[in-house]
Amino acid sequence: MAKTSAEIALLQETDKSPSGFRIVWREIMRDKLALVSLIFLFAIIAAVYGISLFLDQKEIVTVDLFALYEKPSAVHWLGTDYGGRDVFGQLIIGTRNSMSIAFMVTFFTGIIGILVGLFSGYFGGTVDNISMRVVDFFMILPFIMIVIAFVSAVPKYNTLTFSFIMTAFLWMGIARLIRSKTLQEKELDYVQASKTLGSSNLKIMFTQVLPNLSSIIIVTMTLNLAANIGLESGLSFLGFGFPESTPSLGTLVSYARNPQTLEFRWWIWLPASLLILVLMLSINNVGQALKRATDARQRKG
Amino acid sequence: MWKIIVRRILIMIPQIFLLSILVFLMAKAMPGDALSGMLDPNIDPAAIDAMREKLGLNDPWYIQYWDWITKAIQGDFGQSFRFKMPVSELIGQRLMNTLWLAIVTLILTYLIAIPLGITSGRYNDSWLDRLITGYTYIGFAAPLFIFALLMVWVFGFHFHWFPTSGSVSPGEVPGTLSHFWSKFYHLLLPALSMALIATVGTVQYLRNEIIDTKQKDFILTARAKGASESRVYNRHILRNSLLPIAAFFGYEITGLIGGTVFVESIFSYPGMGMLFLSSITIRDFSVVTALVLLYGVAAIVGALLSDIILSIVDPRIRIK
Amino acid sequence: MGLLEVKNLKVHFPIHGGIFRKVVGEVKAVDNVSFTIEAGQTYGLVGESGSGKTTTGRAIIGLNSITSGSVIFEGQDLALKGVRKQKNIRKDIQMIFQDPYSSLNPKKRVLDIIAEPLRNFEKMSPGEEKRRVQELLLQVGLSPENILKYPHEFSGGQRQRIGIARAIALKPKLIIADEPVSALDVSVQAQVLNFMQDIQKELNLTFLFISHDLGIIRHMCDHIGIMYKGRHVEQGTAKDIFDNPRHIYTKRLIAAIPDIDPKQREKQTEFRKSVSMEYEQAHRNYFDEQGMPYPLKSISETHLVALPEKG
Repeated sequence: MAKTSAEIALLQETDKSPSGFRIVWREIMRDKLALVSLIFLFAIIAAVYGISLFLDQKEIVTVDLFALYEKPSAVHWLGTDYGGRDVFGQLIIGTRNSMSIAFMVTFFTGIIGILVGLFSGYFGGTVDNISMRVVDFFMILPFIMIVIAFVSAVPKYNTLTFSFIMTAFLWMGIARLIRSKTLQEKELDYVQASKTLGSSNLKIMFTQVLPNLSSIIIVTMTLNLAANIGLESGLSFLGFGFPESTPSLGTLVSYARNPQTLEFRWWIWLPASLLILVLMLSINNVGQALKRATDARQRKG
Repeated sequence: MWKIIVRRILIMIPQIFLLSILVFLMAKAMPGDALSGMLDPNIDPAAIDAMREKLGLNDPWYIQYWDWITKAIQGDFGQSFRFKMPVSELIGQRLMNTLWLAIVTLILTYLIAIPLGITSGRYNDSWLDRLITGYTYIGFAAPLFIFALLMVWVFGFHFHWFPTSGSVSPGEVPGTLSHFWSKFYHLLLPALSMALIATVGTVQYLRNEIIDTKQKDFILTARAKGASESRVYNRHILRNSLLPIAAFFGYEITGLIGGTVFVESIFSYPGMGMLFLSSITIRDFSVVTALVLLYGVAAIVGALLSDIILSIVDPRIRIK
Repeated sequence: MGLLEVKNLKVHFPIHGGIFRKVVGEVKAVDNVSFTIEAGQTYGLVGESGSGKTTTGRAIIGLNSITSGSVIFEGQDLALKGVRKQKNIRKDIQMIFQDPYSSLNPKKRVLDIIAEPLRNFEKMSPGEEKRRVQELLLQVGLSPENILKYPHEFSGGQRQRIGIARAIALKPKLIIADEPVSALDVSVQAQVLNFMQDIQKELNLTFLFISHDLGIIRHMCDHIGIMYKGRHVEQGTAKDIFDNPRHIYTKRLIAAIPDIDPKQREKQTEFRKSVSMEYEQAHRNYFDEQGMPYPLKSISETHLVALPEKG
């Protein structure tokens, strides 16, 4: 098949640089679904963080007894809940809160997971053995129940402590992944070479091995972000996430635990549910495209 | 072979031990203790203190732990102050409901996953495969509680095809066929909701396995010597791909545990998950600790079973 | 006294087994190896894969830990604790790796790769560092403009030159070359080998040259040690080994060297036949009951062979 000159130029260009970024960009441009998802995500993030600047959280969570369960109208775009609070406002603020905590948890779990994985895989032996037994142990803990139990046990409970509790039981997956990749990398000669060239172990781990794990870290953290949105809203749904004064997407969905609301007042819980679904789908789409970009065998082109 | 099993069991013992300590300390950290529930203006505070002393609540934590764990091993998890009955008895009532829910979910998961995975892998890149891949794509991203909520809204409340709460219709006499049927009918939708989400991993695994195996040399050889397509699949490909799946069921237990909490809450299904949520809300901590411990042990034993089966099925693991 | 003296070097790896992963045995990867390298010369270590030659090299530079024995470099025993921490020792011994693809970090530019040792040992300004790297590139026959490229933009031979540039950046005295050309095309091998010889003269380097290819070893080395199952079976000057091989294992290796001269073909075939006959008949005379080589004993001033005491 004849290639256009532009295509050839593109090929040559990409041959020139291995920098993951360009490959990732090309893969996303090629994958229309991922592209749409990415644009959608940026739009949502911009909208949510932008609009919430103008919204007054206190006003939104204040009970208004004259406007209980109102249907969607011009005043309340998505109606009101059992306390007469504006659902649309709660949706915006809830999305912001859910996203923020998902970002935070993803970041913290990433840091811990990368550190544990790198040290464990690089040094091997006893260090590896002990940390992997710890990981095994955390893996078998029933996550939802342990977190719920902790949430109700912690006395001064706020958004930060909540994200720490989640982090404490979510860092193991990425740690395991980074460990296995580090195990592979450290056998490569460039690591051995660095040792003979006088680089310290810390230097080798962070300046030689870590850059080679960057793409897998980005992919995993993206997929984790989606999962964390799900977990946070799930916990809030059960009533063990954010306090009610800080609405999350899950808080809105949790109103559906009242059968009356579930059956007759869709405007309260359905938009939040769909938003969670679409958010997680789009982040996953981007994550899968990234994954294909990093795994040459799966690339679309 | 037996070495791996022994080794694996030896790893399990400290895990269970650590879990029990964690659960116990967590219970201690929770506000209030077994007696706070009895607080009552008519009871003399001094009497309560005396009772605390008598129950050993003022002892150092490791002595209390020892007391608690030795009793727990014998099945005595103390009293539920809410229901005024032994925790073990209370859990026993709910255990069967959750167990049935889990079993039906597992069966449905495999019933859905295996045909879908095989179709998708065998006819990969056909429109059928694309449809299945699309489903796994959405199923992978969709959180269970949203999915279950939509299921109960659509099929329970809108179409009235399924009951929306409880585990059995009131008035059914236990032991009759209609009682059994009513139970099954009640857990079908919750189990289906969980299965449709849980099946995703297995479908994807099976699809990848089959596509990978299809191109292996021994399959090409089998084809080349004239084996029929169905023989190639039944004798060579599926034998290789299905065995590991059979072994994964133990790992699924961990996922099921989280799932039942959501699903039981959404379908108001009176199982252990519901009990857990209501106990923690009213701070009935003896029930909570017992449940967390029980779920944790279930997950540990599940992983143990899977590891052992996998090591029997897959000789590569045995060497490790 | 040589630049490097290896005495009774042993490198053993533990084997774990049983329920508790206890040490149940050990692999004697290097078992009682001794040799000396004179400054400015090339010592060739030959053997099949698994013979312990690479492990020997890695133990000398510190990539494998030494079980027992001594490695004396310029009068200091590297096997003793703490000696290796001295900067000048680490600078003075460098290594060239077998695989030019995995030995260069794919995420690093040539500049960063070659400058890595400079950054660890010399305090240079970025400008000086860049100039030094360009100088080194020139020295290994690559254009100095390449400093911002990534390893995958080079061919195998070019990559190996980058690896060499990195190894000579600190002006070391001893370079351990672990099969430096075996991953390259045959046409490129000779180029790189000749280039290594040039640079050896230029910088007065000492090489420990590890290879499974006796043809290359003959081309490169002054002294040769033949290894088998972690032990030396024969060592001596290149002349000793090639003109007067005494151990059956050495003879078989030499017989296996391909010869392109058609006139020699008949002679070669005859030699091979006689060697394999001797191997079959006299195997027992060269190896002990476990099939291991005997300890070395000298048969001339330079030539040592692993033969049983009675001869």
